[in-house]
Amino acid sequence: MKHPVVGYSTRHPKQVFWLVLLLTLVAGAMLPAINIDTDPENMLAHDQPDRLLHDDIKARFGLSDVVVVGMVNEQGIFNPQSLNNLYALTRDIEQIDGVIARDLMSLAASDNISQEGPGTIRFSWMMDGPVEGQPQADAIREAVQRLPMMIDTLVSADQKAAGIYVPITSKDESYRIASEIRALVDDLPGDDRFHITGLPVAEDTFGVEMFIQMAISAPLAGLAIFLLMWWFFRSVALITAPMLMAMAVVIITMGALIGAGFTVHIMSSMIPIFLMPIAVVDSVHLLSEFADRYRPGDNVRELVHKILNHLFTPMLFTSITSAAGFLSLAFTPIPPVQVFGAFVAIGILLAFLFTVTFIPAYIVSLSPERLKAMAANAHSDDNRGALAGAVRGLGRVSLARAHLLTVAFALLVGAGIYGISKIEINDNPVRWFEPGHDIRVADRVLNEHFAGTYEAFLVLDHQSGDAIASALGARINSVLESATDEQRQQWTALAGDRLPSDAEALTALISAVDEKLFEVDMDAVAFWEDMLGMLEQAATDAKAFQQPQMLEYMDGLEQHLVGTGLVGKTNSVVNLVKTVFRELNGGEETAYRIPDSSRAVAQTLLSFQSSHRPDDLWHMVTPDMRSAAIWLQLSSGDNQHMSKVVDAVDRYVMENPLPEGVALQWGGLTYINVIWQDAMVSGMLDSLVSAFVVVLVMMTVLFRSLLFGILAMVPLTVTIVAIYGLIGFIGKDYDMPVAVLSSLTLGLSVDFAIHFLERTRSLVRETGSFRVAMQQMFEEPGRAISRNAIVIAIGFLPLLAAPLVPYQTVGIFLAAIMALSCLVTMMLLPSLFQLLKGVLFPDALENGTAKGE
Amino acid sequence: MKISMMIRITLLLALAPLAAAADLTDVDDIVRRANMAAFYQGTDGRAETRMTIVDSQGRKQLRQFTILRRTVEQGGDQDFLVFFSRPADVRGTVFRVAKHVGGEDDRWLYLPGLDLVKRIASGDKRTSFVGSHFFYEDVSGRSLADDSHQLVKTTADHYVVRNVPLDASAVEFSEYTVWVRKDNFLPEKAEYLDKAGKLYRRVEALAIEEIDGHPTATRMQVTDLLNGGHTINEMRFIRYDVGIPADVFSERSLRNPPREWLSRGQ
Repeated sequence: MKHPVVGYSTRHPKQVFWLVLLLTLVAGAMLPAINIDTDPENMLAHDQPDRLLHDDIKARFGLSDVVVVGMVNEQGIFNPQSLNNLYALTRDIEQIDGVIARDLMSLAASDNISQEGPGTIRFSWMMDGPVEGQPQADAIREAVQRLPMMIDTLVSADQKAAGIYVPITSKDESYRIASEIRALVDDLPGDDRFHITGLPVAEDTFGVEMFIQMAISAPLAGLAIFLLMWWFFRSVALITAPMLMAMAVVIITMGALIGAGFTVHIMSSMIPIFLMPIAVVDSVHLLSEFADRYRPGDNVRELVHKILNHLFTPMLFTSITSAAGFLSLAFTPIPPVQVFGAFVAIGILLAFLFTVTFIPAYIVSLSPERLKAMAANAHSDDNRGALAGAVRGLGRVSLARAHLLTVAFALLVGAGIYGISKIEINDNPVRWFEPGHDIRVADRVLNEHFAGTYEAFLVLDHQSGDAIASALGARINSVLESATDEQRQQWTALAGDRLPSDAEALTALISAVDEKLFEVDMDAVAFWEDMLGMLEQAATDAKAFQQPQMLEYMDGLEQHLVGTGLVGKTNSVVNLVKTVFRELNGGEETAYRIPDSSRAVAQTLLSFQSSHRPDDLWHMVTPDMRSAAIWLQLSSGDNQHMSKVVDAVDRYVMENPLPEGVALQWGGLTYINVIWQDAMVSGMLDSLVSAFVVVLVMMTVLFRSLLFGILAMVPLTVTIVAIYGLIGFIGKDYDMPVAVLSSLTLGLSVDFAIHFLERTRSLVRETGSFRVAMQQMFEEPGRAISRNAIVIAIGFLPLLAAPLVPYQTVGIFLAAIMALSCLVTMMLLPSLFQLLKGVLFPDALENGTAKGE
Repeated sequence: MKISMMIRITLLLALAPLAAAADLTDVDDIVRRANMAAFYQGTDGRAETRMTIVDSQGRKQLRQFTILRRTVEQGGDQDFLVFFSRPADVRGTVFRVAKHVGGEDDRWLYLPGLDLVKRIASGDKRTSFVGSHFFYEDVSGRSLADDSHQLVKTTADHYVVRNVPLDASAVEFSEYTVWVRKDNFLPEKAEYLDKAGKLYRRVEALAIEEIDGHPTATRMQVTDLLNGGHTINEMRFIRYDVGIPADVFSERSLRNPPREWLSRGQ
């Protein structure tokens, strides 16, 4: 009775069953409260600085998340049918609940500014109703050609596509809104094709498909494991227990996660698929050994205890190491990955607990007849099966070709390291869909026609409000010196001690001084007018992004970025001012420039504001004119692409320093993706290193030997290097799922090594002979390890059927990891034993000093 | 002759309280009176306006301007001049409008920073007035002939009139309802429904004062009920019937502001 828990379970199996059932039911009751979260922004904590900046930028510039609708007609869109479709669709989309109609961008919701005879300009809707005929469609084409804000944004340069940018109140609504738009599109006549994309749609759609996926993949994985185990053991009675246990573990873990109030993110949606095979493997060890050893008439309880006596420690350690591998994900700064790691770790420990309680309780509850049948089936397959032969062969080769194999694996590691050096770190949520998915197609088609549907925002902030206030203060003080006491008192009463640095307070002070002018005596008017003039000058000066030189700087930066080819197009107050200024000055192309004075810019903008959409200005500058946003259209949402853009801006700013007092910030979803990607890569490295150290220490403690500890780390090290090398070689992007796999590999593949080392040591101790021990290792223990590897590998394969790429990635790589780490364990470890047996097993017969017999 | 005049005046005076007491039932009469009360006080007038634009985030902008108005024909054509004085960077900007009832208005814009006078082709009047929540039409008045009018109900203080545009495609609303005060016929509130029938815009007179014998809305607010944000116009230094000559309302005044009429006087 080494382990009281096991003893209790075999004495009171019914209590164990009831407890497991109760836990499962309680946790199961939590499941309906599930809250799906697919927002990549949530890869960053809510208070992450870049995310706060991003939110701040969205708020200050009134930016919303945008669904992009593209209309494509290979014959060109400037025909009455296409334009009328665009018009009708725009009007209908404006009525959809959750759409911010005011900010919607479409040719059919745009203002046109145009010349109408000498000295006359016209502000009018680009389309104030359906188009009557081809001449009108041509007129619209002509008008659009004159408006740089629209080309490559609302209408493609090749005139074959039009875009509708649909701002929405909440990202969570984008799937519904996209569905409603799809329904509208279906009713439109003609041969225009429509595509819907945009990061919010991708994210929300992913959430919906992920939910479906969870309902398909996890049960499918369960079925695959069940069939495989049935093939191995040919006993439904035997494999029912691990399956029930795995289900209980999955339900309790997910119930706990949901019950604890965590959202189910893409990573945590994969928890069932991870837990299912992992939960099964320990019990497979237990059951397969029981089936091997059981003879009718044996005392079942005693046999169970006997088996557990030598399996308990390796199972405990494999569980703890696997859990440690997952738990190390808590070191990443990415909340969804932390939650994933923590709850898989909990699930693994729970699975261990059930393996040493529920499974023994189950075995002792079986009737003698079923036990007999089970044992008969298991034996009949085991010794003569293909697996048994393969395992024995593996053992022979490993021992006979120890040098060769060791060198071969060393070469593999070398190649792996080279492959790792070629790894490309990149991610893009749109690529989470398969290439044929509607969203991918839309993404491709629209980015071919337009300057880009991915957006990033470059924000310039003028932060010299205080400097302006203090300069103003100095000038005012000099006037105050020559003023009368009464004037000084009145001034202090009005302005207080400190001059305001923000625009609104300054405006209020100006109004107050203006009022004052009508109360004071004639001889004081000059003083107050002086004051008023200085305040007004300061107010104008503070409008930084109305200053021509500031706009020139932005213009230079924007043109540079477009010139690099990395940015499809930029939109900002600069092209707006230039366009309106040109039309005010007769519409000639030579007038397409930034006006010469702050006043001229202000009046140009005032003219623009007398349009149907004056508020469009506030997406480009803030009302105090102290901040400006440049909207970058990128044709790719790849993190690598965005990083190059960031670098290009950094270089430009290095060579052309920002105007004094101006600071630069980034925002936009594409940029945010880069931030969490960077955080993930460095976080993953931390978590991998920490997990490696923790597992090494645990192995050293387990085997009470540093050498054995290091040996235990060999297979997983080879596996990780080889797998990541492969990723580098085949050019698969290092994205989120790939990053997460590193820690999992560590936790899972060390299991095989633990079992292999532990059993070898005890067999050498039992038999006294390394040769005999090795022979026996490639019988039952070797089969058990291989079976486990196959169960897990096959268990993950149903993920390949998923239409979502991250699931496929995880499926294929975990299968590869399992297969490889099993092979490495069963080939490299025996080879190393062979080479190092004198040091490793000094007491074995072969080493001549057998005193342990 | 004089006697008959006297009798008529006496009769009018005697009947006036009766007329006031009895509710009007002719909707055309109501909207005509409301139009006169809101846009045709006096033969001419001036006012200084402080316009505060507040966006949905509560951020404020201020615009200050002086309006000169001259009525060519009561209930008919009018001339307007709008001189901007604040913020300082738009000082000197002038709008000139010649309103033609039953025809297209003429509009001009003078931008001193660009030294430019532009004629603005008359088109849609439902464009923003210098970035505020007011439309041009709110400032100059919407033609009575553009809508069909219906007296929805008569309350203790108001005539409630529903107005439906005759040409629905020319405007962004589907209908609007105006609360016309019974005592002075000033429209006190107007609410606009969008094409989906949703209330999205409100125009209100927050303060009404009697100036030179004319009840005048001195504080008006437009609220964007859909996106948030509002604009408040505060009008001060209002004077009516000051005798502004017709030739002040000419292109000459754009570059050479008529100081006499812009100053507040005493």
